[in-house]
Amino acid sequence: MKNRIKVYRAMHDLTQEGLANELGVTRQTILAIEKGKYDPSLELAFKIARFFGVTIEDIFFYGDTAERP
Amino acid sequence: MKRNTFYLLVGIVALIEVGIFWLSVEAERPILIQVAFVLGVILLYAVRRTVEERMEDERTAMITQKAALRTLETFWVAFFAISLGSAVVAFSRPLGLRPPHLGPPGTAPPDMLELPFIGGFALFQMALLCLMIFLYVGFRVYYARKYGDWDTDEEQD
Repeated sequence: MKNRIKVYRAMHDLTQEGLANELGVTRQTILAIEKGKYDPSLELAFKIARFFGVTIEDIFFYGDTAERP
Repeated sequence: MKRNTFYLLVGIVALIEVGIFWLSVEAERPILIQVAFVLGVILLYAVRRTVEERMEDERTAMITQKAALRTLETFWVAFFAISLGSAVVAFSRPLGLRPPHLGPPGTAPPDMLELPFIGGFALFQMALLCLMIFLYVGFRVYYARKYGDWDTDEEQD
């Protein structure tokens, strides 16, 4: 599963540490998700999407799906 | 409590436990170390909850679960194999009533359990538990690496 968390972080001018603190997880977890090493739970995915004010599909998409514009 | 303070407390509790162990041996009261060990573990579990810096989340919980499951899967095979060997040794000796002991009073016949043997068995059990801990740490490191615990990026200091 791929994601655009890094893009949304940049748009909100947030560091990994900052986002991790907002979501109540460790910085390593944000890093692992961004690098595609860890797929978050549905709950955490909803939290991330809700935090950025978008839908889950805007942030996460299946691996072989073409990247969104 | 800060994380480093917690680790310091773990060290102090471990030292106290070692002291109580020797005290327990000197006083010939095993209950001392048994109670102290359980209390020490409960204390550390309770204090761990007060650590301010976040140490666990869903990813670390998953790593812990996977490592624990793999340890259990591996360890029961090793433990059962060793126990089977021990059972063979035990059943190789005469079963049922033992022949009259003709040795000097206070000494045990050669095919009976003697106290030092029981102490040796306790040490053997502890060695097995240490093996289990090493196994767990090994699996923990493996899964932590797999799920990005030591990854770095441009934000890393």
